[in-house]
Amino acid sequence: MEPVIDLKCSLPANYTSLSPTALIWQDVLAQAITGELMAAMNYTSLSEICDDPEEVADALEHAAGEKGHAAAFANEGRKIGVDASSNVHAKHWKRLREAFLRCIAERDFIACLIVQEIMLESFAVASYARVGKAAPGTLGKTFAAIAAEEEEHIGHAMEILKKERAKDEQTFDDKLYRLHLEVMTTLAEMLARDCRTGHCEVCHGSCVKPALPDVSLSAAELRGASLHQYLKTLDKLGLPGEVTLTWVAQLPV
Amino acid sequence: MGGSIAGIAEIDFALIGHQESWRAAADVLAALRGPGHTPLPEEEIRDILPWIPPRAVCHVELASTRGAKVHGVYIDSFIPPDRLGDASVRDNLARVRDAAACAIQAGAKIVSLGGFSSILLEGNVDQLPQRHGTVFTTGNTLTVSFIVQGIRKLCLQEGRDLRQSTLLIVGATGDVGSGCARCLARGVKRALLCARNLERLRKLAGELAAEGVEVEIATDPRQFTADADVVICAASLASSSLLLGTIAPDAIICDAGYPKNLSPSPAMPNAKVFYGGLGQVTGTLNFIPDLHGILNRHPFPDVVHGCLLEGMALALEGRFEPFSRGRGLITPERVEEMERIAARHGIYLAPLYNANGPLEALLDCHAEVFV
Repeated sequence: MEPVIDLKCSLPANYTSLSPTALIWQDVLAQAITGELMAAMNYTSLSEICDDPEEVADALEHAAGEKGHAAAFANEGRKIGVDASSNVHAKHWKRLREAFLRCIAERDFIACLIVQEIMLESFAVASYARVGKAAPGTLGKTFAAIAAEEEEHIGHAMEILKKERAKDEQTFDDKLYRLHLEVMTTLAEMLARDCRTGHCEVCHGSCVKPALPDVSLSAAELRGASLHQYLKTLDKLGLPGEVTLTWVAQLPV
Repeated sequence: MGGSIAGIAEIDFALIGHQESWRAAADVLAALRGPGHTPLPEEEIRDILPWIPPRAVCHVELASTRGAKVHGVYIDSFIPPDRLGDASVRDNLARVRDAAACAIQAGAKIVSLGGFSSILLEGNVDQLPQRHGTVFTTGNTLTVSFIVQGIRKLCLQEGRDLRQSTLLIVGATGDVGSGCARCLARGVKRALLCARNLERLRKLAGELAAEGVEVEIATDPRQFTADADVVICAASLASSSLLLGTIAPDAIICDAGYPKNLSPSPAMPNAKVFYGGLGQVTGTLNFIPDLHGILNRHPFPDVVHGCLLEGMALALEGRFEPFSRGRGLITPERVEEMERIAARHGIYLAPLYNANGPLEALLDCHAEVFV
């Protein structure tokens, strides 16, 4: 999977004429584009382990959709005069991709859905929806529209996952917890108030988190909304609320 | 809504509550994180807690002194402790509704609404989700019982004759305040009723006056012509100065508000303050995971708010009915009935205490008042 835009990190040529918040949006967009490209890669990988031609088609369709989202975000960047570079090899995203690829290696379709649809998409839907409210003009509309589309994906996957859980709740919940420890721990580190483990390798300059309040956002709000969405999604799957509360309470901050 | 409940076939009761302080919330989350994880800093808790959807926190096992056993669940609405005021009512009601839906999903036969949550049943009962087989109670009847018992106990210990006392009730037209008024006003020399709504005050005063009670009403406690020597604060006071100069220097004061915010101060060195509305389980009370002393932060074991104990007592009795519902319907007869049900299962008035600790040890000391 090739990134849809250049990976080079540099200030745009028209730097001096940019709006005061353009560089903040550049980093927000860079994270979103990276996430979308990784999702596209994940769905492409998923298509390779599907036996049912319809599932293969679905996965490839999702992959195309995620690439479209990445392109839409990149386009929004250009509109405000910034080049939002993606980096699917950035340390956190790389770990998330590796976790997904382990599920692929085990040909575990259900685990793949859990990682992509329950965990990564919860994060995407919640944070895009918040950004959609805060961002101006078409930038905000694009985030809001993509959040709504991503939520539709989740709805489709939820039906499959609910059926799977109904077969054997304990086995399903054990698998989900194992994946939670791996994937949600990484997401929690990404969403932490500060990047305590060093630069995330996606932001173009220094970490964007301290500047988010300048665009009516905050790292705490994005983390909170994401965890809220994740817990609600687990509730819908039927997992015990007191159990998932403990899971979330034990995540790093 | 709030997920299902793990591994339990039948839930007799559910308790809906919230944390009164950030300290309490921090302790709950620290317990859930477990000893292998460092406790979250308070600033992180302030960031995270408001985003947690209402859900079960722990299971509750209760056994009566008569051998009855019931199983329940504590559901936290995760209302942030600093958002209990009027400005957040709409959001808080939504949280209580979600918590109620969680209790229904768990299949609880009776649900007690603790603290702020009870206002949903007092005036907004139509906003509760419905399910056949689940009933809701505010728990206010048992709360009133424990407040009244506490007043009588302390008067006895202090050698005060309640019949010669002037009783002030702040928040008198609320469900708890009016219940206390109906239970105590006939047995005092004079009743001073204070609340924000003058129309409701007049109605309650008329009801009590018809029974021969000498009643005075005011929307500000400083307007009364007499000093009270027994005070029930059924609503949290906005300022300590509202009481200063309004009550006798050695007044007995029951802090029955939520959250409780009356504590000792040099301003009134001879006043006796206690936290009212609390009961104690003398049978067996277990939280799973063990949140003893974390969910119920009191200086005595197995002390729980009366509002929550009401649902537990009714479950032990096998009476799954909305015992306390609506506003202004608590009568002395209902209070006595509830008191008998609780006592049958070993649930009694908790030992009295205030912010300084057990009151029995403080009886010879000078307790003071301020918010």
